[in-house]
Amino acid sequence: MSWDQLISLIINGLATGMLIFLLAAGLTLIFGLMDVLNFAHGAFFAWGAYTGAWIYAGTGSFIGGILGGILAGIIIGFIMEKLTIQPVYGNPVSQILITMGVMLVLSELIKVFFGPNPVATPVPALLDGSWAIGNIIIIKYRVFIILMGLVTLTGLSLLLNKSKIGLIIRAGVSNKEMVQALGINIKQVFAMVFMLGAGLAAFGGVLLGPYSGTIQPGIGFENQLLAFIVVVIGGLGSIGGSAMAGILVGLAGSFMAFYFPEGALAVNVLLMALVLLLKPKGLFNFRG
Amino acid sequence: MKNQLKNPKTLLLLLLTALMFVTPLFTDSRSVLMLFAQIYLFAIFALSYDLLMGYTGIISFGHAMFFGIGAYSAGILLRIGDGAWTHFLLAIVVALLLSMVVSFIVGLISLRLSHTFYAMITLAFAELFFILAEKWRSLTKGTDGFTFPVPSFFHDRLNFYYTCLILLIFIFLVLSRFVNSPVGRILQAIRENEQRTESLGYKVIHYKVLATVYGGMIASVAGILYAISLRFVNTAVFGVDKTLDALLMTIIGGTGTLYGAVLGSFVIEFAHKWLSELADVHWIFERWMILFGLVYILIVLFFPKGILGAFRRRKHS
Repeated sequence: MSWDQLISLIINGLATGMLIFLLAAGLTLIFGLMDVLNFAHGAFFAWGAYTGAWIYAGTGSFIGGILGGILAGIIIGFIMEKLTIQPVYGNPVSQILITMGVMLVLSELIKVFFGPNPVATPVPALLDGSWAIGNIIIIKYRVFIILMGLVTLTGLSLLLNKSKIGLIIRAGVSNKEMVQALGINIKQVFAMVFMLGAGLAAFGGVLLGPYSGTIQPGIGFENQLLAFIVVVIGGLGSIGGSAMAGILVGLAGSFMAFYFPEGALAVNVLLMALVLLLKPKGLFNFRG
Repeated sequence: MKNQLKNPKTLLLLLLTALMFVTPLFTDSRSVLMLFAQIYLFAIFALSYDLLMGYTGIISFGHAMFFGIGAYSAGILLRIGDGAWTHFLLAIVVALLLSMVVSFIVGLISLRLSHTFYAMITLAFAELFFILAEKWRSLTKGTDGFTFPVPSFFHDRLNFYYTCLILLIFIFLVLSRFVNSPVGRILQAIRENEQRTESLGYKVIHYKVLATVYGGMIASVAGILYAISLRFVNTAVFGVDKTLDALLMTIIGGTGTLYGAVLGSFVIEFAHKWLSELADVHWIFERWMILFGLVYILIVLFFPKGILGAFRRRKHS
């Protein structure tokens, strides 16, 4: 393999990894921090992707699409948390069932609103095309994804580790009763974290559209497992861990696709099994 | 025995069982018999899940892998043997052995993890089987699947109906003896308090592995019956939705009761059939999966302990 190929593979792997991180970042909050087994997480990607594509097609503004997609995610997250998550905090079996139900409803509703057929999601003109450096071809949109991933990572880390609200969230996760006793409405805080997670997932969904070229109602289900794998590998509740795990999964997938395409699907699952067996709490678990 | 016969619960059970035996006398519709056979085989699957979730407190997301192992064992061997009896028996042996080995290995390496991680890793293992079935096309024909001949005995739907029913009753009786045996009591102790059971001197991991091995083997029997009922098998048998069906059936009926699993299978299979038939009534019901999703949500919100659980609570209050 030549250097050119190696660099291309690495860039592709990084871009895929960052996209996976974007999809998983919301889940890190919802599943990793709050311990909610949200099997409807994929529905946020799907609704984000469809709303984003619909607004972009209608108005021609990609930024408008991104904002609209995030808003859709937050609204759905708000309603879902109120109606279905609040009654089942701390009860994993009920969470699985109820969120699966929500997933079925939300995925079918996508077919009702946007139709069951795949929708084309073009790359906006500004980000279309590629740069050529020597023999290496760098696709602009992939660089954009990497940048967005880094921005999200930095923003989330700052929010969680440096801000007051981040302090409350982390305290609430480790000792809910104590935080409540200090006069903080923990229910409201959890609801906000859930909405933030939903919005992030929808953001990932909007960016996923142009990356894959088309979207179809099944994208939620397809990418959900990947998000779970990344969160588990990274260690529950660790934003940095999720980013590292996303990159690891992205690079592994990119190299596997080159050397042994048959195994590309299995590599993520094997990676997770391996990590869990060697480090049962994930690679970067700070929650103890 | 005489005293037991006076117990209204036992009488009710005997009556229901008798009803299941004579059902074919009232209908000769193939689709009705098919539906009931499917209910019985899914009840077997749900029973195996109840042993794990209801009695040992293990939540697996990968139970479909044993269901799939059974289904593919039957499909592949019967295809090779052209539907011969010998190959059917061989399929049973292979399915039981394979699921035993797989559940033993998976259990041994992953049962040490905490609940959430165990759930995720079993999900991952099931996904591996799904991918294997999709990629090993020479053996499985991938997503398209393949049809295969079944032994002539099963050509008669009535024979298949009674096979499923008798197996269900047999497995139900064996399991109800098992969960009340000394080992079964230990499993329930693990469900209630793992640390305390460990400190009483029981090797918790051994018993948990034992439960997953039994659960896996029973699930593979359900898988064999499923493949034979369709005379067709594809990658869907390894799908997460199969595991979730078992989970839902167990919960709807009531976990840790065994009866609940059977009841849940009736409810879910009827709901599936009824809701999907609604699509013919009005176009709006073409999206019947929405209704099914709502069923999930409403059950968790209003019947968190299942139908039997709600019934018991009423009786006590």
